[in-house]
Amino acid sequence: MLPTSHHLPPRIKRIWGYSTLGSFVVGLVVTALLYWAHLGWHWANWLVIASAIVTLIEPIVEAGLIPYRYRFTRYQITPVAVEMQSGMVFKKRLAIPIARVQDVTLKAGPLLQWQKLTQVTVATAATSHTIEGLELTVAEQLREQIMQLAQEARHD
Amino acid sequence: MTKPRHSHVLGLITHLAKQIQEYWFLFILLLWQWGNLSPLWRGVAIAALVVWFLAWPITKWATLTYIVTPDAVVIHSGIFVRHQLHIPYPRIQTVQRQQWFYLRPFHLETLKLETASHEDGQPEVRLPAVPTSVADTINTYRQATTKPSIAATVTTESAAPTAIPQSQGPSYRITHRALTQFALTSTGVIPLVLVLLGIYGKLPKDWENQALAQAAHYALPFLVGAIIVVLLIAWVGAYLWVLIRYYHFTLTKTGDQLETVKGLFQRNTVTAPIDRIQAVRFKQNILRQWLHLQTVQVLLASKAATDDDDHDLVLLPAIAQDQLYATLHPFIPWVPATAPQLTDFVVPRQARWLLNRNALLVVALPVILLCWLWQPWGYLSLFLLPLAYFQGRFVARNTGGRRLSDELVMLQTGHVWTRETFVVRRQQIQSLEVNFSVWMRPKHLAHLTVNVRHGNRKQAIELRYLSAKQVHALYDWYTN
Repeated sequence: MLPTSHHLPPRIKRIWGYSTLGSFVVGLVVTALLYWAHLGWHWANWLVIASAIVTLIEPIVEAGLIPYRYRFTRYQITPVAVEMQSGMVFKKRLAIPIARVQDVTLKAGPLLQWQKLTQVTVATAATSHTIEGLELTVAEQLREQIMQLAQEARHD
Repeated sequence: MTKPRHSHVLGLITHLAKQIQEYWFLFILLLWQWGNLSPLWRGVAIAALVVWFLAWPITKWATLTYIVTPDAVVIHSGIFVRHQLHIPYPRIQTVQRQQWFYLRPFHLETLKLETASHEDGQPEVRLPAVPTSVADTINTYRQATTKPSIAATVTTESAAPTAIPQSQGPSYRITHRALTQFALTSTGVIPLVLVLLGIYGKLPKDWENQALAQAAHYALPFLVGAIIVVLLIAWVGAYLWVLIRYYHFTLTKTGDQLETVKGLFQRNTVTAPIDRIQAVRFKQNILRQWLHLQTVQVLLASKAATDDDDHDLVLLPAIAQDQLYATLHPFIPWVPATAPQLTDFVVPRQARWLLNRNALLVVALPVILLCWLWQPWGYLSLFLLPLAYFQGRFVARNTGGRRLSDELVMLQTGHVWTRETFVVRRQQIQSLEVNFSVWMRPKHLAHLTVNVRHGNRKQAIELRYLSAKQVHALYDWYTN
């Protein structure tokens, strides 16, 4: 559909993997707390069971979908627009004309920093849209490119 | 006008009233705790209230000054923290003037200036009780800065500038008939009914029991009668409310500015430049659809007109559908002069049931829960099902749109029994989104979302279940 579009850097899969692990750990903690509440204050035990099931299933599904998430997330910068594409079951195509771009923000949490990646958020006067992860150098290049094009577009 | 000026003493009343309006509960708190306080603390509390409700607004008023220079409006304010706000004329989105009837003899008004900054809530500048000449001066300077050739003569500021002769454009005044129809079909009834029901809930219980005991004899007529009375009161209330706000509504075009004036007790004047309009919206609830009456609003990048419907500046409150385009075109040149056929983006016949299905799915769970848990009254919720079905039908029938030229699209949506038509220029579309699921693909369907700026947020214009070909064609037009 987008002939010259790019995938995100493959290392983003590792980041997604770790964040899946993170949600598994959070799930374990919640389940443990609920179990504790069950022992201490006699909270209903189906809460513990439900929480345990969610803790197990959710990371498996999330991890299983990573290859697809990677395959279906794409972006493209043309001289006139930034385009993004994502979603496997619910597909989304998004276009932001360069002339409408107000600012570009690079943002990286600890995981992304460690992998030398960064999120890129493109904001217009009304909406903002995020590319989940790009190589730091690519992101900076992209920002320069967008701002350059935005400058030119404004001179029209 | 280069010396800082204070607003008129009458502005003090506004400051005081605002303080009382915002913190009246402190009085209640004091009265409630009065018995528990020692005389010393009573004294302290009264002193604190005097400071908070008298001294604070007075100092606020005394420290608020404004200067109107040829390039910008400068506002100084603040007691402990001094603010200095500098607004150049090209940055001003709208100038709003509100004149309460008691300020009219003094030629004073409240002046509000709005820019497109991302600050939420209050307008950037609010000057209570300043002479009407201030707004005139600002408007003159504002028009001058948009026309560089004239600006040169004005910026050699000697005295207060004289009004630049402006080409007086078309003007429109609402007819009594249209205003009456508009007021009668206002959906403002619904919140009023809720308020009345709220008051009913606050009535003493024994009244209610007495009334119910008597009503038990003729239960049904009583119930129906009560409902009709509540509806009538709410309807008359909503009618008067609309009538007071839109009394003598006029729209005029002067140069490249649009100006609306309206209101009975408070004359409200809003001036907005035409090139700052983000989109034009025609709106019609189902009652007005039967009467062929449309409301025209403009979406701006500021929040002028906070009392208007949805906070959007109303250009034509009530206009007959067949006169709409002919009336509006002289004011906003890029709105087509005749009604276009919105046949490009429609829901294909074989996809219409999807909208019915979705509307039914939304109400299905609440209906099942109500029927199951709250018998026998829960069965009343079954009425939601046909309502949802017809809502889906309404959406399917009212979805429409068309690309009118290389620079202009018109999009029409149906939401909650209201039809909205947007006229959007390509340069004002901030982003465009196409969504489709794997099940929609073989049916060649797609959703379209067009984002435009609206106040400090976005207005997403969403058309669901269109022909994928048309949607992707629009996407290609937008990205090329």
